[in-house]
Amino acid sequence: MLADLIRVLGLWRRQGGWLLAGIAVSAASTLLGVALLALAGQGIAAALGGAALGGGLAFLLLRPLVLLRPAARWTERMVTHAATFRALADIRIWFFRRLAERLPAGIGLGRSGDLLGRLVSDVDALDGLYLRALVPVLAALAVVVAGVALLAGAPLLAAAVALPLAIALLLPLVLAPGAARAAAQAARAQGRMRAAAIDPLLGVEDVLAANGEAAARATLAREGQALALAQRGLGWRAAWAGAAGTLLVQAALLGALAWGLAAEAGGAALAVLGLFLAVAAAETIGLLPRAGISLAMAAAGARRLFELADAPPPVAEPARPAEEPAGHAIRVEGLRFAWAPDRAPVFEDLELDLPEGTRLALLGPSGIGKSSFAALLLKLAAPQAGRITLGGVDIADLPAEFLRRRIACLTQDARLFDDSIAANLRIAAPLAPDAALWRALDRAGIGELVRTLPEGLATRCGEGGARFSGGQARRLALARVLLSAAPVLVLDEPTAGLDAETERAFLETLESVTAGRTVILITHRLVGVERPTRVLRLAGGRALPAAG
Amino acid sequence: MEPHSAGRDGAARALLRRESKALRRQVLLPILLGLAALAVTIAGAWLVARLLAALLGHPGAGWAELAAAAALALLGAALVLAQERAQLAAGEAARARLRDAAFARLLELGPADPSGVGERASLVVDRVEALDGYFARWIPAAALAMLGPPLVCAAVFGADAGSGVILGIAGLLYPVAMALTGIGAAQASRRQFEALGRLSGRFLDRMRGLPTLVLFNRQEAEAEALGEAATALRRHTMKVLRVAFLSGTALEMLAAGVLAMLAFRHRDLLGGGGNPAAALFSLLLVPAFFAPLRGFAAAYQDRLHAAGAAAALAPLLAEQGTPGLALEEMPPRVVITFTDVRLTYDPARPPALDGLSFRASAGETLVLAGPSGAGKSSVLRILMGFARPEAGRVSVNGQDAMALRPAELRRLSAYVGQKPHLFRATLRENIRFARPDATPGQVEAAARAAHVTDFAEGLPQGLDTLVGEGGWGLSGGQAQRVALARAFLRDAPLVLLDEPTAHLDPGTESLVIESLQRLCLGRTAIIASHSSARARLGRVLEIEAGRAAGAPRVGAAQ
Repeated sequence: MLADLIRVLGLWRRQGGWLLAGIAVSAASTLLGVALLALAGQGIAAALGGAALGGGLAFLLLRPLVLLRPAARWTERMVTHAATFRALADIRIWFFRRLAERLPAGIGLGRSGDLLGRLVSDVDALDGLYLRALVPVLAALAVVVAGVALLAGAPLLAAAVALPLAIALLLPLVLAPGAARAAAQAARAQGRMRAAAIDPLLGVEDVLAANGEAAARATLAREGQALALAQRGLGWRAAWAGAAGTLLVQAALLGALAWGLAAEAGGAALAVLGLFLAVAAAETIGLLPRAGISLAMAAAGARRLFELADAPPPVAEPARPAEEPAGHAIRVEGLRFAWAPDRAPVFEDLELDLPEGTRLALLGPSGIGKSSFAALLLKLAAPQAGRITLGGVDIADLPAEFLRRRIACLTQDARLFDDSIAANLRIAAPLAPDAALWRALDRAGIGELVRTLPEGLATRCGEGGARFSGGQARRLALARVLLSAAPVLVLDEPTAGLDAETERAFLETLESVTAGRTVILITHRLVGVERPTRVLRLAGGRALPAAG
Repeated sequence: MEPHSAGRDGAARALLRRESKALRRQVLLPILLGLAALAVTIAGAWLVARLLAALLGHPGAGWAELAAAAALALLGAALVLAQERAQLAAGEAARARLRDAAFARLLELGPADPSGVGERASLVVDRVEALDGYFARWIPAAALAMLGPPLVCAAVFGADAGSGVILGIAGLLYPVAMALTGIGAAQASRRQFEALGRLSGRFLDRMRGLPTLVLFNRQEAEAEALGEAATALRRHTMKVLRVAFLSGTALEMLAAGVLAMLAFRHRDLLGGGGNPAAALFSLLLVPAFFAPLRGFAAAYQDRLHAAGAAAALAPLLAEQGTPGLALEEMPPRVVITFTDVRLTYDPARPPALDGLSFRASAGETLVLAGPSGAGKSSVLRILMGFARPEAGRVSVNGQDAMALRPAELRRLSAYVGQKPHLFRATLRENIRFARPDATPGQVEAAARAAHVTDFAEGLPQGLDTLVGEGGWGLSGGQAQRVALARAFLRDAPLVLLDEPTAHLDPGTESLVIESLQRLCLGRTAIIASHSSARARLGRVLEIEAGRAAGAPRVGAAQ
């Protein structure tokens, strides 16, 4: 748990200045609060004791503090929040980059419902580490140190006041492990509940078609109940921690009184000081046991984030990249590949030679591994044996970034983002002028439809292209690939979801729209108008020449 | 925009009011416990004040009082624990009820809802969770803020009238200070939550499409864009917080001012030999006086969260489900008739169905053909109750089909859509989903009939292989066959298939078509298909621009 939290702090290094400033301001503002009550206590003790002069001085000093303290509190809140926002933004982006590197092909078997919860609430829970754990603990430490210093004259009194407060300081660490378990349980329960909501919504047609509404609702209700139970456990722990904090402060207060009673007349002034110190510490120290819960929640969030972020990258980047080749002829030599050791190999001794400008149609029944070929070519997966060369250089020696610049791919799961059509297309070519966008749209056979939209290129696509029909979204994704300047195009079932006429119309223009580029058309059947220069059929892990 | 948001606010308030009323009994307990804890605190402060006075040379209290104060501290802690426990329980029932109602509505809206799945799931998860703060914290905090300070004020007034007046004035000033600093902050705060929601939405959208971004080398650019969006949001948020935090500052100024005034007042009082215990009592109760107000300010955030959540939930919950009749008994044979049916999704675009008429007789297989967008899927969607025609008549065995409740209408059919969804479960469970009470033998027969067994035999655990959400690990064609197996298992008198062979290679396609012929035997079937092999299935009806093109042709194979 500690290792994860230290790692989070390491990721926040860039914002160290802000984070330290927040802690410093917070400690200063807390000490001001202590000074305020200590002076008030002293003033009263002096007044009651008849020493009007000392009391007067105390009240004189009190006045500026009365104004300074709220200002300090305001500054503290501003600085600590600014620091938190910066730190959280940093970690969100770090996480995004890291997943792009480690899970470039997506999240696979993990439930995206669970991932949704992880990304949003786990990152947000990390603010507890700073705002609700580090800052109050260090501020409280300042209070305890100040208290010991002020009461140094009477060691027994110092012990009576400072000891309960010091125990409160240690409580977060004592409570955190148990709370961590409860927090992890609650987070898991929430992930399960989210998945229970998302899965049926993703497949809502199928749920309705099976009249499965009641079952889906029952599952969600069950997961909701499990979550409520887990939250109750966590809340109960927090309540106990809060009660412990209150009791410890009371112990310090009554300890000061007891010392005063025992010392009789001599120690009255010091006892009053000690009592007011305990009152001043109440706000800061009372929060501390709950800091343990926040610490635990942050640790649980951090653990799950790092679990995902530490997935091994599917293909390591070359330690010393080879020189970038000029050409883009592709050769496959003795390729052997299986997705997992216990799965049947997809390719066994695959040989393939694709000179520049080849239009290859790669055929085969569904599930034979046509898409795996694209994954290998783009280094989303690594072969167990053999090699693929691009322009004569083994792609294992080329940076993935270079490969993806040379090879553009329309995958089966190509996704449109909740952004404008123009922004979605420009993912392939950020600097493309509008004219180029229209050209690509026309080539993909969707320019006409986009022209009829009132907002044209600025029309938003919706999440996953939800504003368009399946075939339209597919054509927009196709336009994006055609817009790319890559000399090699991999089109994985480009016409899935299109009707026969549209499919034919697109494939007929394939030759002209991809002029000069190498095209690998992955499909389960040819319509007859593609005019490929080569046709290969995948069977038994090898590519065999086929008539089409 | 303004009247619209005002309407939303009204609906949100009504929702929260309705739920609070239903929860009255549950929230009363934490309020009473909170008041009891406050009374114990007051009593404890009185003992401590007397002890302090004794220390300062005004005897009258000793070890007995100290022991009593310690006992009161324990009692107070126990009461606070009990209060928290009661609060935790208060929101649970409300959340469970609201979550179920919202989820049921979302399922009922089904495919007609244009908003993203993430957004809809967040309604039933995050939004409903956000309501918890309203019931568990806001209502008790608001009540205690109303009742607590007067209680303390009265106690202080009893001990020393002047101090009581000072506290009373501070209490009256509090709403003024809040009004000055709080109202603008509340408005800004709400906009802030929405902006934060959009940022999270963007983050999720990009995470979901990560593979696409990586393949175009855009992950770095997108990471930077996310960073810029976060920076812009932070700047904006800090501007809002600058004002929002002032309300907390105002409260502290008030507390510090009260403390100073009390200290000043009692310095004069002490000279004239007043009651030192009363003076100390009033000073010691200053934190207790402001604690409920502080709790109120802290819970205000919960209220804002809840108001935002209620505003998002209210429109969903306010809508009534489509009423309709229940199916009296499952008819063994089904005749479907469309008469001049019209359906428009978007008034800005041409209608999806524009006066379509056809008839599918009992036991007949009707293949709908035509270019995409012609309205083939719309026919199936109407028969599944996913869409309602605005004109014309759709009848099942001569009865108006639209008079049935959509869920009842669906009981007639086995349906496979264009993008069938595989749930994160084993292949077997995915098939069984169509009919949970099916026997293992029936599930296996369905898997065989749809040629799922063909590829499942090659998987490590056969039919018990786990597939991911969205069918990860299976090719499109394999997922399609799993969905077809569901249709076999469903065993309904009407079969509705949307492009059942779209993702299949020709070899598998002819296998599947063969089994489809078996599936459709003795059942009425309507199949939308582009496939060149469609004529093998049955009579072909060409649809063009939402209506039948000429007279239906007779399929070659029949």
